[in-house]
Amino acid sequence: MSTHSGTTRTTRDARTRRTSRTARPNEARLAFWLVVPAMMVLTVIIGYPIGEAMVRSLYGDTIGGTAPFVGLSNYVSALVGTNSQEFWASAGATYLFAGVTVTMETLIGFGMALVMTRAFRGRGLMRASVLVPWAIPTAVTAVLWKWSFDPVGIINAVTGSHIIWTGSEWPSRTAIIIADTWKTSPFIALLILAGLQIIPDEVYEAAKIDGASAWQRFRLITLPLVRPALLVAVLFRLLDALRMYDLPAILTNGANGTTTLSILVVRATLSQLKPGFGGALSTLTFVFIFLTAYAFVRALGVNFVGRSEK
Amino acid sequence: MGSRRDLRVGIAALGIAVLALTGCSGTASNGSSGGSADSGVGPITFASGKDLTGAMPQLIAQWNQLHPDQKVTFIELSASPDDQRNSFVQDLQAKSSKYDVLWDDVVWTAEFAAHGWLEPLDEATVGGSDVLPAAKATATYDGKMYGAPFMTNAGLLYYRSDLVPKPPTTWAELEADCAIAKANNMDCYAGQFNQYEGLTVNAAEAINDFGGSFLSADGKSVAVDSAQSRAGLQQLVDMFKNGDIPPAAITYQESESADAFTSGKLLFLRNWPYVYTAGSADGSVIKGKFGMAQLPGQNGPGISSLGGIDLGVSAYSQHKTTAKNWVAWMQSQESQKVLVSVMNQASVLKSLYTDSTLNAASPYLPTLGQQLLTANPRPVTPNYNAVSLAIQKNAYAALQGKVTVDAAITQMAADLKQAIQ
Repeated sequence: MSTHSGTTRTTRDARTRRTSRTARPNEARLAFWLVVPAMMVLTVIIGYPIGEAMVRSLYGDTIGGTAPFVGLSNYVSALVGTNSQEFWASAGATYLFAGVTVTMETLIGFGMALVMTRAFRGRGLMRASVLVPWAIPTAVTAVLWKWSFDPVGIINAVTGSHIIWTGSEWPSRTAIIIADTWKTSPFIALLILAGLQIIPDEVYEAAKIDGASAWQRFRLITLPLVRPALLVAVLFRLLDALRMYDLPAILTNGANGTTTLSILVVRATLSQLKPGFGGALSTLTFVFIFLTAYAFVRALGVNFVGRSEK
Repeated sequence: MGSRRDLRVGIAALGIAVLALTGCSGTASNGSSGGSADSGVGPITFASGKDLTGAMPQLIAQWNQLHPDQKVTFIELSASPDDQRNSFVQDLQAKSSKYDVLWDDVVWTAEFAAHGWLEPLDEATVGGSDVLPAAKATATYDGKMYGAPFMTNAGLLYYRSDLVPKPPTTWAELEADCAIAKANNMDCYAGQFNQYEGLTVNAAEAINDFGGSFLSADGKSVAVDSAQSRAGLQQLVDMFKNGDIPPAAITYQESESADAFTSGKLLFLRNWPYVYTAGSADGSVIKGKFGMAQLPGQNGPGISSLGGIDLGVSAYSQHKTTAKNWVAWMQSQESQKVLVSVMNQASVLKSLYTDSTLNAASPYLPTLGQQLLTANPRPVTPNYNAVSLAIQKNAYAALQGKVTVDAAITQMAADLKQAIQ
């Protein structure tokens, strides 16, 4: 009954919305019902798998028969138990890759964006070609770099070195970092470029008239004004880098200290058919990434959900 | 009014969706209960890895002509074994009857059987006296056969017959021949030493050569912690140290090692028989200049790890009788001849290695037959992937010189123990 009367009013409201923008409680109710289907879809496609993985992670992995409830022992095994050495080694590798690649990609991407934002002949072509590495699927990139880093591949041929890139620890890690930086710098460049484009030219002109040097203009105008875009770009990259999988999986298959958390999850779940332990690993990875992102947002104040600051 | 109708439509749509979902599961369960009541005879599906030769359609057409009421439908999976396994595991975990007959890599049979995904087969039918004993062992789990050995494979020693008059039969002879490699400015020996399945195969061969093994025969306890295993791994480590195996070989998988040999940079290569085709192709720099022999061992020919495929019958198949007859037919002499002549693969039947017509096309067959008679299956265990990873990691660290052979084997024993738990 109440729904009925509410509906008529809401319809009328909708018709007159342009003139009176006052939100009535009934409108909120309609909005709620309109959002319900989307929320249900989200629950099914996001909530269910996550919840299922978490529930599964509380059960054991015995072969045949039903899986016994084991409480948190999969988590204990990963964090302090028999598998802890492997887990922390891959957590270390993951954060190492994330830290180094995101730093390098931000610096290089920023440089690329500063070049691309200038007006010069062939800028369109330049912007398009810079994006090529980003457009190539990561798995294909990984195969290309695998060939390049072959002991008789192009990198050793060009540099005249005889490094066996994927044959020991640091060369392997370096190879992965180079490949990832090559691939993802354009992504950061593009996001920063978008931020640079909205800085009005007048600000720079005024600064020039006031006698600010190029460095001062960069430090006092460009940096603060591009900061929101920059931080969002770095945050996105950080989240992405922490779940790195394809490059190390194809380049080294996780050998030589390049096993990332995602490789560990895939190995436990798909290769060794241990959904319980794999579920625990993926939940831990999720928690690690979440905490890192949260710390980043808190520390640097990224305004990434678009709330107005006030 | 309008919105209430929308709501009703929405609820109805939701209802339909739910009905559709439950309806689906309803049909599935009806189907499987119907299947168990059925005589087990009827059309089946057969899933195999990618077939580039056209042999599978040929075999299936023959069968379908003989059994029009029990037609086999061919499902071609990816060329990558990992992807094939993922396809199977997903459907088997969901108890789906999508695949009646599965193409099992020899190292999966025990795992699938332990999960209850495979139907036990009659040993007299698919494990007869003509079937190679090692191939039979790969299909046997807990005393029962869960697969019909279909295709097999062993590693062989490729050597440059223009430079080495007589192929070495022992590791010591091979190392002595490395002087020839040096004189010709070539690398001496390589196998597959990257950290992946190929390293498990190569390490297993070296360790088996010296009398060691990874697990007990029943796969339930660890046996690697022995002087023999150490001697086997030491053989490879020493060859890396003294340069008989080139440093780059630490990155070699099958194709990289084959490239090194077919481009004339390597004197000896351990690889599967498939390199014969590339090596003897027109334009190959080693065409007519190489031979294939048995692998080197400690005191005579060495022991190869066994590759290959077993055909398994899904426990969720609705036509198990037909499926069992089909896998037995695929193991028959006639089908196996197609396997050898069209697919260029190694048969599981001993008698075919002395068949003169087949040997004319693939002159290495008698050697391969010899190698197969002494071949060893890789560890037969339901935890094969974890076991293989434990072997790879520790053997790799030893080959890199990061840890001593002794420490590597000790750690391998500990990791294996955890893997088979």
